[in-house]
Amino acid sequence: MFGIFMESLVIFKLYTGLKLLIVLFALSWIYLLVTEKDKRVRLLFVWAPPLIILLFLFPISRKLFVAAGLDGETYYRILWTIPMGVITAYASCRLFSRHKRIGLIITSVLVILCGSLVYKNGYISKAENLYHIPNTVIRICDLIAPEGESGQAMVVVPEELVYYVRQYNASIRMPYGREMVASQWDYYNEVYEAMEGTEIIDLEKLLEATRKEYCQYIVINPVRQVKGDPEKLGLQLLSTIDGYRVYKDPVAAAEVESWGQYYEED
Amino acid sequence: MIALKIISLIIWLFIIPFGVGLLPAYLLPEKDRTPGAVFVYGYFVMFALFELVGIPIVIFVTYHSFSLLSYLFTALSLALGLAGTALTWFGGKKGYKLAFWKREELKQMALEEKICFLIFFLLLAFQMYMLFTRASFDGDDAYYGVQGVIAQQLDSLYRINPYTGRSAPLDVRHALALIPVYEAFIGRMSGIHATIIAHSVVPPVFLALTYLVYFQIGKRLLHNKKDMLPMFMIVLALLQMFGNVSIYTNETFLLTRTWQGKSLTGNFILPGVFLIFLCLFENNAESDKKVSKGTGYWILLACVNLAAGVSSSLAVLLSALLVAGLAVLFAAYKRKFSILVKAALTCIPSAVYVLTYLIISH
Repeated sequence: MFGIFMESLVIFKLYTGLKLLIVLFALSWIYLLVTEKDKRVRLLFVWAPPLIILLFLFPISRKLFVAAGLDGETYYRILWTIPMGVITAYASCRLFSRHKRIGLIITSVLVILCGSLVYKNGYISKAENLYHIPNTVIRICDLIAPEGESGQAMVVVPEELVYYVRQYNASIRMPYGREMVASQWDYYNEVYEAMEGTEIIDLEKLLEATRKEYCQYIVINPVRQVKGDPEKLGLQLLSTIDGYRVYKDPVAAAEVESWGQYYEED
Repeated sequence: MIALKIISLIIWLFIIPFGVGLLPAYLLPEKDRTPGAVFVYGYFVMFALFELVGIPIVIFVTYHSFSLLSYLFTALSLALGLAGTALTWFGGKKGYKLAFWKREELKQMALEEKICFLIFFLLLAFQMYMLFTRASFDGDDAYYGVQGVIAQQLDSLYRINPYTGRSAPLDVRHALALIPVYEAFIGRMSGIHATIIAHSVVPPVFLALTYLVYFQIGKRLLHNKKDMLPMFMIVLALLQMFGNVSIYTNETFLLTRTWQGKSLTGNFILPGVFLIFLCLFENNAESDKKVSKGTGYWILLACVNLAAGVSSSLAVLLSALLVAGLAVLFAAYKRKFSILVKAALTCIPSAVYVLTYLIISH
């Protein structure tokens, strides 16, 4: 039980980022605890938050959470039920109600100093288009997109593009997706092993794996080294897009095409 | 063509939700029928309706399920929107009215307040601009985002593996959280790609919704100090921008994953529960005789509990638990058992949701 409590405590610490913003919230809460007279506000913003934190840290809660089939990694979301922002903003308004200008300046400076600007987040970058996915992916997808409703296209792409292809065109299939790239899962996929498992891509091995999956297109990262001559192995270079080499495998393509003919005749 | 798309977006993102919001507004006191509040109520009802229509279709219909969902939801939301408008129109003849901002209120507002509101709107505009022009990478989009694209392009709901495109059995764990499908629906109605809707169109709207909820909360908290409301909004806007103390905070989700159900949970649904509790007991305290003991708010709370399902299964539990916890506090304080009964009734949609989840997952 103590172990579970400590785990929940660590989750709480991770949630706060050990930044001073949580101190600002705690001070705001204490201020409301002492000064707030409205019973309704006290119940919602003074008494409810500590109860929620206690419930969050209580080991049985976490056990129940996981027993209910919920993902233990999302346990921190219980803390979303505490309106920390509202409590901080409301307390500052009450505290500085007679000194609005200076109050606004002090609170703003404190928030800026105690917090962390979201736009400094490394995952935020200038959008290249309205889709907010790289232009390179769009150009590759447009090149290989299947024609008509019955057309089929399967492509294996480098790790960094895996997330985006199907966000643009759901008709394009892939032998593996994010489930292979994300570190939290430990699956095996032959194509993935051949594509990403070694420093130098062994094209012969990759083709052997992709043909089993009837994968018609292969996209190679500009900086990845390749063992084997693509042309000699029967691959056809369709285009080079922003350095990415887009190959078509005529063998897999012919196989897939024959299915189409079979279904049409059928 | 572009003009038509923009008109469709305005209709489906603003006009219809507002019309739908007029329905619950009819049951609320006049002071709670401001345009901003009506818009918020509209989204509570729209999301709840989407779950109500969508879940049976997801479970029982395999082919062309998205088309069927779109037809039904279009018809029902239009009907509700028209009913809300008609109710307001005909009620107007009997003295019923919305609480629009009056010009005198604006005139009475001190210059300092006006400047503070201007600062807040500049912060809001900046956040919207950043949402529109900055891409925020999140691996979950390979799942949730693609579900929307599959719905729009392949007319299938949760029966295709979003990572690979292979056919798959119904993905029970995510199938009841329909926000990607809702975004795909907006995409279908406007003729815009679901990913553009999710990443460029919906975020500014959802951000505005969040601030509207906070504005309503602020109005109730500061009803004796209305001049502090602009400061309240500025501090909240700054807290959203500087709340990125970890990847887990609801503030981080708001400005980096606005389009996802998770953000909606922490920044719309849960604050919505606090807002309704504030209104509910303010209403009772002031004994508005025209409205029978907050029936409208209890109905809205039931809608919020069902709307939570659009975000995620966890949101349903969080919302229901929050309602239950707050109801216990208020019931103890007011010494009224009826509060617990009413709160329990509002949690029936959550119970049905959980039961459905359990049945289809076993």
